[in-house]
Amino acid sequence: MEMRTFRKWCRTFHRELGFLAVGLTLVYAVSGIAVNHAHHWDANYERTLERYSIEPPGTGPTAEIGPVIMERLAITAPVKSTWRAGEAEFQIFLEGGGIDVNLVTGEVVRHGFAKRPLLFDLNFMHLNSGKAPWTGIADVYGGMLIVMALTGIFLVRGRKGLTGRGGVLMALGFLLPIVFAVVSRGGG
Amino acid sequence: MRYVSALLVSVLILLVAGFAMADEGDKVYGEGVSAPDTMLVSDLMANPEAYIGKTVRVKGTAVGVCEHRGCWISIASDTEGETVRVKVKDGVIVFPAEIMGDMVVAEGVWTANELTMEQTKKVCAAQAKEDGKEFDEKEVSTCMTLYQISGTGAVVASK
Repeated sequence: MEMRTFRKWCRTFHRELGFLAVGLTLVYAVSGIAVNHAHHWDANYERTLERYSIEPPGTGPTAEIGPVIMERLAITAPVKSTWRAGEAEFQIFLEGGGIDVNLVTGEVVRHGFAKRPLLFDLNFMHLNSGKAPWTGIADVYGGMLIVMALTGIFLVRGRKGLTGRGGVLMALGFLLPIVFAVVSRGGG
Repeated sequence: MRYVSALLVSVLILLVAGFAMADEGDKVYGEGVSAPDTMLVSDLMANPEAYIGKTVRVKGTAVGVCEHRGCWISIASDTEGETVRVKVKDGVIVFPAEIMGDMVVAEGVWTANELTMEQTKKVCAAQAKEDGKEFDEKEVSTCMTLYQISGTGAVVASK
C-alpha cells in the first residue's frame, strides 16, 4: 500500500472512531478523576448526617427494647432490618440510610445517602461494576483507543509530524510512564 | 466507513439498553456463591483457626459497607454484636451502599492476618473512633489477628 493511501485510511479511521469515542472518553475521564480521589471523598454518594436525642431506651433484651425504640423514633419510612451491634448500640436500616441509637445515652445518629446524579452512573461504568455486557463495550472502546493512537501517529507529515515535534511529544508520552514505573519500583 | 460507524453506534446503543434493563432479581456480585453449605457466622468465629484456607459461605444482614470503594461488607452474625468481614479485591467487586440492611450470602476463603503492633494500634484507634470512644495506645499490649473472608462472590436477595 502506498504511503498516501495508508495515510488516507489512517485519517478516515481516526476521524470516525474519534467522534464515536467522545462520549465514552468523557465517561472514563470524568469518573477517572472522581474515583482517583476516592480516599478524599465519596465519588458515588452524597451523604448526610443528623444528630438528635431520644429518651434512652436502656440496654434490655433486644426483643423488648426494639419496639420501644421504634415508637420513640416515630419512624415513618419502611424499615429494612435492625441489628443490635453491641450492648449499647442499636442500628436500624432504611432505604437510603439508617439510624444508630446509643441505648444508654439516647443519642441518635441518622445518616442518609443518595446517589450522585450522573457521576454514580459514570463511576459504575468506569469500574465495570455491572460486568457483562459493559465488559464488551469497554473492550471495544479500548480497541478503538489503540487504533486511534496508532493512526494518529501518521496523520501529520513534516516538522509537526512523527519526524519532528510530534515525535518528540510521542517520546515524552512514552517516557512519562516508564520513568514513573522505574522510580516507583526503585522506591519499593 | 459511515456504515461501520453507524453499525458500531447501533451496537453500543443496544448493549447499553440491555445493560440498563438488567434483571431485577437476586443481585449477584463477583462469582456468586457455589459452596454447598451455608455455615453460621458464630461457628466460624468460635473456632476461626479451624477454617483458615477453606472456602466458607455465610449468610446474614449486611450491616457495614466500605464507603470509599465498596471493597468490603460486614455481615451480621446469628450472635448479637458479632460480625464477619468479607473483603474483596478493589474494583473486582464493588458493593453499593444500598445493600446495607439487606440479606446477603457471601462466599470466599477464610483468612487470618497477623498484624504488627503498629497495625494493631491503628485498627484499635479506628475502631475507638468509630465507636466514639477514647483511645489510649498504652492499653494495647498484644498484636491482633484479623480474620476475614477473602470474598469471591456474593448474592443479595431481591426485595
